[in-house]
Amino acid sequence: MNRKLSDNTRGLIKLTVLRVIVYAILIFLTALCLFFFYLMIVNASRSNAQLATGFTLVPKENFFKNLVNAWNDSSINIPRGMLNSLIIALASAVLTTYFSALTAYGIHAYEFKGKRMVFTFIIAVMMIPAQVSALGFVQMMNKLHLTNSYIPLIIPSIAAPVVFFYMKQYMESVLPLEVIDAARVDGSGEFRTFNTIVLPMLKPAIAVQMIFSFVSSWNNYFVPALLLDKAEMKTVPIMIAQLRSADYSKFDMGKVYMFILLAILPVMITYIFLSKSIIKGVTAGSVKG
Amino acid sequence: MATVELKNIKKVYPVTGGEKKEKKKEMLPEKKTNLQITEEGVVAVQEFSLDIADKEFIVLVGPSGCGKSTTLRMVAGLEEITGGELYIDGKLVNHVAPKDRDIAMVFQNYALYPHMTVFENMAFSLRLKHLPKAEIEKKVQEAAEILDITEYLNRKPKALSGGQRQRVAIGRAIVRAPKVMLMDEPLSNLDAKLRNEMRAEIIKLRKRIDTTFIYVTHDQTEAMTLGDRIVVMKDGFIQQIGTPQEVFNHPANLFVAGFIGMPVMNFFDARLTEDGGKYFVELGGVKTELSPEKEARLKAKKVASQDITLGVRPEHVDLTEKGIAAVVDVSEMMGSSVHLHLTAQGRNMIMIVPTVGMKNIPAMGEAVCFGFNGSVAHVFSKETGENLEF
Repeated sequence: MNRKLSDNTRGLIKLTVLRVIVYAILIFLTALCLFFFYLMIVNASRSNAQLATGFTLVPKENFFKNLVNAWNDSSINIPRGMLNSLIIALASAVLTTYFSALTAYGIHAYEFKGKRMVFTFIIAVMMIPAQVSALGFVQMMNKLHLTNSYIPLIIPSIAAPVVFFYMKQYMESVLPLEVIDAARVDGSGEFRTFNTIVLPMLKPAIAVQMIFSFVSSWNNYFVPALLLDKAEMKTVPIMIAQLRSADYSKFDMGKVYMFILLAILPVMITYIFLSKSIIKGVTAGSVKG
Repeated sequence: MATVELKNIKKVYPVTGGEKKEKKKEMLPEKKTNLQITEEGVVAVQEFSLDIADKEFIVLVGPSGCGKSTTLRMVAGLEEITGGELYIDGKLVNHVAPKDRDIAMVFQNYALYPHMTVFENMAFSLRLKHLPKAEIEKKVQEAAEILDITEYLNRKPKALSGGQRQRVAIGRAIVRAPKVMLMDEPLSNLDAKLRNEMRAEIIKLRKRIDTTFIYVTHDQTEAMTLGDRIVVMKDGFIQQIGTPQEVFNHPANLFVAGFIGMPVMNFFDARLTEDGGKYFVELGGVKTELSPEKEARLKAKKVASQDITLGVRPEHVDLTEKGIAAVVDVSEMMGSSVHLHLTAQGRNMIMIVPTVGMKNIPAMGEAVCFGFNGSVAHVFSKETGENLEF
């Protein structure tokens, strides 16, 4: 009896120690992730001179001054830049997710000759980095007179093999073909079935991919920098780069940090609103529902 | 309400290029099914001809991979027909879309729309027809009352049990008052108790909605209890079409004999002898004369004396004082009867003995004798497996 009890106690201690270790690691990792956000907020509250003195964890008093300076900077128009980025990011996120889901649906729900080949081809495209085709892309846009336009920033993002692949895998776990058959028998056309039956079933996956697409488009510097040179069309990352490369007389790191802080706000707000769906989407398929 | 005619229906799943070799490799050595593989592809259904009368309840039954669901899906329009003709209500519908066939279908895994409430699930097809709101509500309410799901109309499918979900799936089908109701193993996902309940519900439902039913199952009990006629299938071919009683009493071949009936029919290597116009089966040194009806049928077919496979159902075998020798392996007490598992003539067999009037249950290893009546013996050709009477 005593021996059994001691075994039990020993087991409890072992479990507690293990939990403490696990929680300690998790807390450390969380702190590590949040540390850089904190550092950014701290830096956004420091003046250029204070920033030059080096690293500190204590926030300073220049937060609102930096905000006003950044907002009133004559070389950039923050509200305009944010609106530009928002238009591009939102349009890309919506179109990318919708059309990737539609493509994935085509591969998932239909049987046709060469289906496997099409799938392999789309996956192969995933391996090609955007930089490889950038030069040709810019040349083509020049010829099409599409520079200083949002079209080349939005339309090509529709072809997103990674989003397609995610959607396809998600469909395998949540979308039985019988549901599609049932809709067909019920009298629903193919597009209606996709829009009214399939899309709502993919909500968590759509939320995840919407935010990923939104963030990647919001942060995209490379392609917009190649295509946009009109001041009123510039996006947030271009403006940040512009602030950073300002000449000595205007250079203010406090402004740059403040602008970066402003730039991540929409992403954070979107994440807060969609976080429930995102967690669902990330864990989807792991457990049979 | 409609007639359905299937004329020489064929379904081939094409296998192309690289997949061809792979598929052949996959299918041939493992022998998952005996489906024919031709140059065209895998033949899932062939030579399927059947006339279904108006308001008839037809059950397609067979083991997995026999082509029953494929046939049903071809009737629904969810699967392209490779060859043959399909008529619903006298109209050729080979190339008509599912939505224009005026059919409804119930699926094995319910196939409910998870983001819609029960009401919305049932109203979906009616809304697509642009029916007035009041009419939709009336129809859904009526169907819900028939199926006793009125209280769940505002719930989503995930808040329902398996049985309730299947009722909703049936409800979704009956609100449309379809010409033909198709059911693809609708009870397979339910537990045994619920399955029995739902089976009875379907029988009641059939009387209320009075339409043509085509029902697919692999469960012979469902087939026997529900169908006006049963179509037994194997490897894409029809094995037998008949009423449950016909199929049970006069199985066309060894497959049907073994598939229909629970526990399965006992088979023995025996000899059929013809002697002075009378037919006998000889098993274990015991000669049993066949009934006059069987003799007449065998005579009409001029069946000669030959080695046969003899089939006798477990419920038609009796313990006797003298007869064919057997040894008891296991006895299972089922309450109203005892299932005796015996070894006789080098074969395993089962015998159902009613417990009423039974003095003592034979013990394991005990030697017993059994016999059977000539009217319940089924004689099958040793070469073809066909019933020699038909």
